[in-house]
Amino acid sequence: MKKILVTGATAIALTVGGAAQAEFPTDDNITFVIPYSPGGGFDTIVRQFAPALETAMGTTVVPENISGAGGARGGQAVHRSDPDGYTIGIYNIPGLTVNEVTGRDQGFKLDEVTWIANLAVATYGLAVAVDSGINSVEDLCAMGQPTKLSDTGATSTASVTTRITFGILECDIVDVTGYAGSNDAMIAVISGEVNATIKPISSLAKYLDGSGTGDLKLILTLTEDEAVTGVPSATDIGHPELAKFTLNRVIGGPPGMTTEVVAAIEEGLRAASEDPSVTSWADGAGISLAFMGAAATASMMDDLSSFYEQYKDLAATAE
Amino acid sequence: MGLDALFEAFLAVLNGGSLLFLMAGVLLGLTFGVIPGLGGTTALALLIPVTYTLEPLDAMYLAGGVMGATSFGGSISAILLNTPGTAPNAATTFDGYPLARQGKAGLAIGASATASALGGLIGLFTLLLFIPVAREVVLSFGSSEFFLLTILGLAAIAVSVKGKLLRGLIAACIGLLLAFTGANQFTGETRFTGGMNYLWDGIPLVPALTGLFAISQMIELALKGGSVADEETRSAAENMKITGVGEGILAVFKHWPVLLRGSLIGTVIGAIPGLGGTVASFLSYSSTAQTAKDRDTFGKGNIKGVIAPEAANNAKDGGSLIPTVAFGIPGSAETAVFLGILVLHGIEPGPQILLQNEREIYGLIVALTVSAIGASVLGLIFARFLVLITRIDVNIVVPVVVTLSLTGVYVLEGRMADVAVATIIGIFGYLMIRFDYPRLTLVIAFVLGEIAERSYHQVRLISDGNVLEYMLGRPISVILIVATIVTFFLPAMRKIPWRRLTGSAS
Repeated sequence: MKKILVTGATAIALTVGGAAQAEFPTDDNITFVIPYSPGGGFDTIVRQFAPALETAMGTTVVPENISGAGGARGGQAVHRSDPDGYTIGIYNIPGLTVNEVTGRDQGFKLDEVTWIANLAVATYGLAVAVDSGINSVEDLCAMGQPTKLSDTGATSTASVTTRITFGILECDIVDVTGYAGSNDAMIAVISGEVNATIKPISSLAKYLDGSGTGDLKLILTLTEDEAVTGVPSATDIGHPELAKFTLNRVIGGPPGMTTEVVAAIEEGLRAASEDPSVTSWADGAGISLAFMGAAATASMMDDLSSFYEQYKDLAATAE
Repeated sequence: MGLDALFEAFLAVLNGGSLLFLMAGVLLGLTFGVIPGLGGTTALALLIPVTYTLEPLDAMYLAGGVMGATSFGGSISAILLNTPGTAPNAATTFDGYPLARQGKAGLAIGASATASALGGLIGLFTLLLFIPVAREVVLSFGSSEFFLLTILGLAAIAVSVKGKLLRGLIAACIGLLLAFTGANQFTGETRFTGGMNYLWDGIPLVPALTGLFAISQMIELALKGGSVADEETRSAAENMKITGVGEGILAVFKHWPVLLRGSLIGTVIGAIPGLGGTVASFLSYSSTAQTAKDRDTFGKGNIKGVIAPEAANNAKDGGSLIPTVAFGIPGSAETAVFLGILVLHGIEPGPQILLQNEREIYGLIVALTVSAIGASVLGLIFARFLVLITRIDVNIVVPVVVTLSLTGVYVLEGRMADVAVATIIGIFGYLMIRFDYPRLTLVIAFVLGEIAERSYHQVRLISDGNVLEYMLGRPISVILIVATIVTFFLPAMRKIPWRRLTGSAS
């Protein structure tokens, strides 16, 4: 009897399959995988979005930290889960893209991920010490010896950006990596250990004149248009391709998610990104929210892969 | 600003709700401190998601309560079980455990509680003095100074393992090997990973320490049987009341220079990002042991061997806030988590953190102060009961400690591989105990190895290869080089019969 009931129930479920999917996400909690430990940038943005996403989608969102292997372990966990929409994750982009083009096996392929949205974009700037006497990229590259820059790890996005940028500019550099965090790397410029650093403009702001302590000054922004008054952009110095370097907070899911489920999560995230609790937090924390839907995110990911593919030799060489 | 703000912060904490968060933090900190392998960083990391819904100030009280209490909690297991509750308590085992075996655990706990509380206070007081010049302090410590400090730490280990120099060096080399596992910061290449993704980020610290300290000691205890306290001293102690706690408190005041030196070492080392409490308490212990007149009694139950590391261990919390107030960068793993909590509340830590977030920073300082004292008072009240642990049959102690430690290791990241690492390193640690190799040497090398390598490469790149020339041009570097040389040659210099030399000269 029980068996018959089960079979019957299955049959009904199959016929109303379309309807059941439209009801996503009512059956379960949504697990939001963060591939880093609590307290970092990725963790923070997910935890800020989670309550607003809950309200928008009408189900509980559970942030889960699965850290390790430079963000690859969390990505693998999402990759292995069912593509039912109940597991999504945030990805370190372009960190993972660079790893992939330089031939590191991360346990999953980025082009298999179902891309859902991009939450925020950070743009980079090149800064020097305010009393360094250096006022432009030409000054920096004409010191008679290789320019020294500071970064966290050799595989960090900022370090890769630094190497490729100066490679494109045909300027000799020594990228001094190993600083504990981007703050430490900026302090190394202030204390005179190194000449300059490329960091997200929002991070540099704390040390710039006007918005911060005035220890550093910007001499270039890696943007298409003028981002900071009086500071040349990538276009101004004749290398608009440098504006491709950005730091993204991209959301994705396991391979093979249906378009309905993707659309539902995309809408939820879009609503969350406009929620006052999220926008006011972003203002305070210096995060530039820049929502991008599934289609735009997927094409950006393709773009990034081919962009970094061009420069993979520069990306792979350290020192 | 300044003292007014601090006074206000002290008044604010007396609000019922705030005090509740603070006390919850203290209890949690003590618990995580006592459980071997788990420390303040673990407790704070697990707390982060909880603090999300709290007011930033309440989150600071909770975090400060935890930070201030763990190191004293850790000293309890160090003294009673020869198993440091947190890595910085490792130096406390040298003299704390012999005291416990002699039936003087009360004395050791009393001294540890008092040294922790006073060390914490001195550290915070030093922080307040340093706030006006914090910026200069941070700017004058660059890669060169980082590197030399790690060398000073390694030199201090080398001379402290009396009569076991070779074994000590072997253990240190193994520690360095373990430290160099994972991605190279400079080339991005992976080393010694055997193709395992797990090892990309290196061998994780908490599982390694849990294995080396907790698991190995539990294997040793289980194989030995009985209970921690010696049979003879046990019956002797049973006849006496478990006292000595008061004596322990007095001992700290009697040996105030040890307390002061430990606190200052703790504050300075705490201010240097990455070095942390293990190095601070170890340097404090070894400098006390090396310069004491009764240095032969160290390692056999000298109370100064408990005071020195515990004072440094708590003072480092104050010190670790120096880079935080100057630039918004963390001075320790705990302050890193604390800054993470601020970010979660939409506050971006930066150089103006003290101006913009005065309330939170002073809240944390107050929480640390109250917590250091609160934890010690609690410890003193319960000392007489805690001492009973040394009389419990190890067949009960061992399974409880092993279960708690391994569960904690698993909970932190949710990785079974971490439990496997703790177990493997635990067995290895037992072999080290069995064949008389110093485990602490391995730990210090493990903790310092990565910083030493990283900062050396930085100096090499910054100085265009002229490393020595560059270092000699920096005053603090020169001081550190001299300190390292003195550390190395002090034991040898003592053997020279100075009196006879000066006598013949005159």
